[in-house]
Amino acid sequence: MRRNFLLALLISATLFLPASAQRLKLTLPVKDGSVRFAVIGDTGSGTEKQRDVGTMMAQYRAVYPFEFVLMMGDNLYGGEAPKDFEKKFSGPYKALLDNNVKFYASLGNHDQALQVNYANFNMNGKEYYRFKKGNVAFYALNSNYMDKKQVEWLQSELAKDNSDWKVCFFHHPPYSSAKAHGSDPQLREVVEPIFIKYGVNVVLTGHDHVYERIKPQKGIYYFVSGGGGKLREGDVKDTSTLTEKSYDHDLHFMLFEVSGDQMYFQAISRTGETIDSGVIPRKKSVKSAA
Amino acid sequence: MKKSIFLGVVVCSLLATAAIAQNKSAPADKTAIQTFEKQVNDYVNLRNKLRENAPKLSKDSTPEQIHAYRTALEQSLRSARAGAKRGDLFRPETADYIRRTLKLEFQGKDRQQLRETIFETETQGVVLRVNYPYAQTAEFSEMPATLLAKLPQLPKEVRYRFVGRNMLLVDRDSNVIIDYMPDALP
Repeated sequence: MRRNFLLALLISATLFLPASAQRLKLTLPVKDGSVRFAVIGDTGSGTEKQRDVGTMMAQYRAVYPFEFVLMMGDNLYGGEAPKDFEKKFSGPYKALLDNNVKFYASLGNHDQALQVNYANFNMNGKEYYRFKKGNVAFYALNSNYMDKKQVEWLQSELAKDNSDWKVCFFHHPPYSSAKAHGSDPQLREVVEPIFIKYGVNVVLTGHDHVYERIKPQKGIYYFVSGGGGKLREGDVKDTSTLTEKSYDHDLHFMLFEVSGDQMYFQAISRTGETIDSGVIPRKKSVKSAA
Repeated sequence: MKKSIFLGVVVCSLLATAAIAQNKSAPADKTAIQTFEKQVNDYVNLRNKLRENAPKLSKDSTPEQIHAYRTALEQSLRSARAGAKRGDLFRPETADYIRRTLKLEFQGKDRQQLRETIFETETQGVVLRVNYPYAQTAEFSEMPATLLAKLPQLPKEVRYRFVGRNMLLVDRDSNVIIDYMPDALP
């Protein structure tokens, strides 16, 4: 009797195991000592689907223990009353926050500047900032207001940065094939020469509510990951010559792993489907695996 | 020969006139910018003084603390600047300089792109009223980096914004509209 009960308990537990243990496909190598992080953009809608993405991220973390999350801006759409922070951020990512996953935010065109003071965004009171994990330096920029001071700061920080990898993340994409917004040529005119001059490897952005991996531009790898909480279905132009890979059918998030001279990435849909993956060798061309 | 001399004289006098005009306008612009920058600094001094009375805001604040700070700053700014009105900072000579800068910066294709960016921004909820906040539910139009490099530089507490063809001067933390300039965009 007792044995049967235990068996039933075991079967029930298996049935209710998180999807991570049952069906999640991980393409990242999970190497010792690697830098592991996730990327989300345009998240703050407070919808059921945003919460689904948060849940899927938590499930993936069970098989891929990423340490922190980069946010591409538009962290809170609409109002920013205390209840909005809960509905559009701390609620959907509660499982991650409870496990001490740190979020590093950048500001989008829907974000109030005072978000820089919000503890869970780890912006340290600044609209643009740098932090380092292992051999990777991360630069959060405010593309909504790229004034002279910010440009000078970026140049001076990059000039003295001898990290193996330099990753910049911000809201507006210098390159994008989406119909809604698309590439931002004015921003590109200012930041691209700096990225090239100081050896930035990867640029992560949002704003367009889709996923897009851009063909390397002047040696730099650009991603648009703006579908963490809002979607513009069918928004990527079929005819774009910029696109290496795109996805505009559902919300998504990304996982990254940096190990030595290689950066692995995996883009995952709200429902757990792998929509893109590959590896970026430092200063070499991208090799897609998906 | 006579014709050539006449043509030479005309060209020279045109060049001289242009040079004079340029020399005349440059100091005038410089004065306009200096006056504008001084007024902006006066505003920042006032708001920073008022901020001292608002609830303190740390780098590790809660949403409640952020809300309390923003509300207190907004209210004290409105009381302290009760008589503020449109054109206080964007005086005619400053507005003229900014309009010319915008016109020069955005021509042809660039102008079209800028207009598309500005007009696609959802700013319906923004009421253009000095001393009242920019609606929290509205988005901000991206300020083109190339343009920000050419406009008078602002301290970090103050921001330029576009709403339609209008240019606004907004307090960064409270979002209170400090001043605005209609029909700024060409």
